[in-house]
Amino acid sequence: MTILEVAEALGAEVLVKGEGCGRAIRHVVASDLMSDVLLVDEDDLLLLTSLASDQVLRTAQIVGAVGVIVVNGKPLPSSMVNVANDLRMTLVTSGRSKFDACVGVAAALKAP
Amino acid sequence: MSEAPQTGASAAGDAEAAHEGEPLVLTELIQRLKVRDVMTRELSTVSRAATMRDVQELMRQKKISGVPVEENGRFFGLVSIDDIIRALGGGYIDAPCSRHMTTKLVVLEDDMPLSFALRYFDRYHYGRFPVLNRDRRLVGIVCQRDINRALLVELAHELNRLENATLQAADKASARSVHVLREIPVCRYDFENAGKAANQIKRVLQERQFPPKLIRRIAVAAYELEINLCVHSDGGVLSWRVSNGRAEIIARDAGPGIEDVEWACRDGTSTANEWIRSLGFGAGMGLANVKRVSDEFEITSQKGSGTTVRAVVNIGELTV
Repeated sequence: MTILEVAEALGAEVLVKGEGCGRAIRHVVASDLMSDVLLVDEDDLLLLTSLASDQVLRTAQIVGAVGVIVVNGKPLPSSMVNVANDLRMTLVTSGRSKFDACVGVAAALKAP
Repeated sequence: MSEAPQTGASAAGDAEAAHEGEPLVLTELIQRLKVRDVMTRELSTVSRAATMRDVQELMRQKKISGVPVEENGRFFGLVSIDDIIRALGGGYIDAPCSRHMTTKLVVLEDDMPLSFALRYFDRYHYGRFPVLNRDRRLVGIVCQRDINRALLVELAHELNRLENATLQAADKASARSVHVLREIPVCRYDFENAGKAANQIKRVLQERQFPPKLIRRIAVAAYELEINLCVHSDGGVLSWRVSNGRAEIIARDAGPGIEDVEWACRDGTSTANEWIRSLGFGAGMGLANVKRVSDEFEITSQKGSGTTVRAVVNIGELTV
């Protein structure tokens, strides 16, 4: 399942379609601590976070994430879409809480 | 009243000699580029029947300081902001512009080298020059800003070309020599730019088709060290190089130094404040994480002076 399909299942808004948007998700990380994200040694991971900053996207790019879903309906700084475009990183925003979004992602990934 | 526009062909010889001492790339550029490559083509013009007030209003709307007077491509003259000021002072702002426009003009031709235009700006001290084609039709206007913008774009292309040529030359050199060496300054609390250097390093390695696992290790080390410089130091330099089968990343700062280096390298220990933590950093994992992804790790620091961290990832026979 791709991040675009997960976004549809969550009813989330896709702000930027990056180069990883067509790759299958192999791992999911939900964290607001970027150093925790950098510790994960998994390919094609999806990052859920309630942190709305450019550094989230740069961290996601470093670990080769398929994309980022910013939860809790956090208003995004205007620079974030530009940075996502520059890094060719998929950026999605969801009004769901981090817990609800995680449940939704788990259900979507388990769906046949 | 109308006088034929003049082109100063004698400027050619001056232009040839005017650029001695400049870098060769720049000299080549200003000879290669033509006036048509830099001029503004979308012109706001008026006919001869327009009043000086019409011209004044057009200048206000378009935020321009000179308006050509033309009809069906035939160029008659130019109304400058000085002409408008004189019209206001002289009480003839509602008169047709054909009576008060500047007609004694120096113009450029669109196929002249850019060096001519530069020489004209030096010689005549005008803010802009109308540009005519071979059929003496008005096709554009050029001001200093147009030239600066075009030169910057062309210089950026040229620098890219030279940089790629240098890297290709390095590819052909011995695998045991230095292939990449970059130094990137990092400012304290500059979160807007923090991480850009590591992202650049990752892109270079991806372009050179390094294995993804190796790229990730090098990128994570670079990113953590860059963020550390941004968060904990008074500013410093992140440098990286690939040589002799090793990717080496060095973060060097001039202060404030670490009192207990061993403590700082433990998981979960940090001196970061709440603001830094709210940005997703300062969890105390940085140095430990760099150590985890590196084959060699070294840190030297002294309270009151600087810190240097060196991380090495072995890359075997890979080259960039």
